[in-house]
Amino acid sequence: MNRNRMKETVLGGLIKNNPTFVLVLGTCPTIAMTTSLFQAFAMGVATTFVLIFSNLFVSLLRNVIPDKVRIPCYIVIISTFVTIVQMVMQKYLPDLYSTMQAFIALIVVNCIILARAESFASCNKPLYSVLDGVSMGLGFTGALCLIGIVREFFANGSFAGFAISGFPVMEGVGASAFGFIVFGCMMALFNFVIQKVNERKEKMKAASLPLSEGVVESSGEAAK
Amino acid sequence: MTAKVKSMLQCVLVLAAIALVSGLLLGAFHIITYVDPLQSAYDRFAEDTGKTFSKMTDDEGKSYENGLVSYYAVSDDGTTHAFVAEGSGGYGGNVQLYIYVTDAKIEKIIAGDNSETFLNKLDSANYYSNFIGKDVNSLDAFAADAVSGATKSSDAVRNAVDAVVQYYKENVAGGQS
Repeated sequence: MNRNRMKETVLGGLIKNNPTFVLVLGTCPTIAMTTSLFQAFAMGVATTFVLIFSNLFVSLLRNVIPDKVRIPCYIVIISTFVTIVQMVMQKYLPDLYSTMQAFIALIVVNCIILARAESFASCNKPLYSVLDGVSMGLGFTGALCLIGIVREFFANGSFAGFAISGFPVMEGVGASAFGFIVFGCMMALFNFVIQKVNERKEKMKAASLPLSEGVVESSGEAAK
Repeated sequence: MTAKVKSMLQCVLVLAAIALVSGLLLGAFHIITYVDPLQSAYDRFAEDTGKTFSKMTDDEGKSYENGLVSYYAVSDDGTTHAFVAEGSGGYGGNVQLYIYVTDAKIEKIIAGDNSETFLNKLDSANYYSNFIGKDVNSLDAFAADAVSGATKSSDAVRNAVDAVVQYYKENVAGGQS
């Protein structure tokens, strides 16, 4: 078990390859399910569950599934877990299910899940695939929640259903068009922060280089 | 047997095996999570109205041209008539509504189990207010204009309301409990 690789896999889904803010996958549920924090969180959890189990089974069956029928096989596996999520939600969370059911069914065609099955789980061991599912799912859930917080705050003047007094509600802000604007702004902010952090890391790395190495490099450049 | 046929057979077998295992898994989960629709309707009636419903007056329902009434019950105090109705023509299939009638007037309309993604648009447009408070005996469900951007969902809702109107006139004699 390679620790560095595990760390890379986990951080990849959360930050470096965040499915929403970096890979820009799953835009449909991102816009449709982020009108409130609670809905966004529920959608994220449902997608994470499907991601983890579809990744696990695709990875376990990667040497059995013939290349020609891999996509139908992935779809059958993914839709099985989506249906399980639907059944469980319908039984135990009927209120939430009644507001989200159309979008829960659409998880089957969520490109994050199919993309991870195709690009990661089909060529990696089960443990890494599960980790990838967890990190991608958490990255997706986190992104949805961030957008949900902003949209709910502006549209309803509340946080997680609790009204924040003194804040004027802006009618129409809950519409999809505003969702796209919030999504775009959050994406820009996320990538800006990541870029700044990376730049800072590189500067610190350069500053911590041994002096002799710096001299050799600069003299080498001068020679060129 | 040629290599091509072997490869085809392998594909079919693997896909069939995965589908079979998926089917068995879903079957098991269905047994665990099965929700009796009749019980679900009772619970929903009670939750939506705050009244008790101890028997289903009609658990077979009735179909109409573009809609149907699946269940009909009267509250134990006899004041509220509760309907589970469906209207055809929605974007994602039939639209299910829970419709409550008190004193021959539609008191409440609540969306049921649906795969319709545009119903939230109807909620935002306060579409159900076209029917709420109206006398069932004289209500023309189709008089309400469709909501722009959700015309199919509006059609399905109108069909469901119309089914309840027809059922009410035919089966709830005189339009009053």
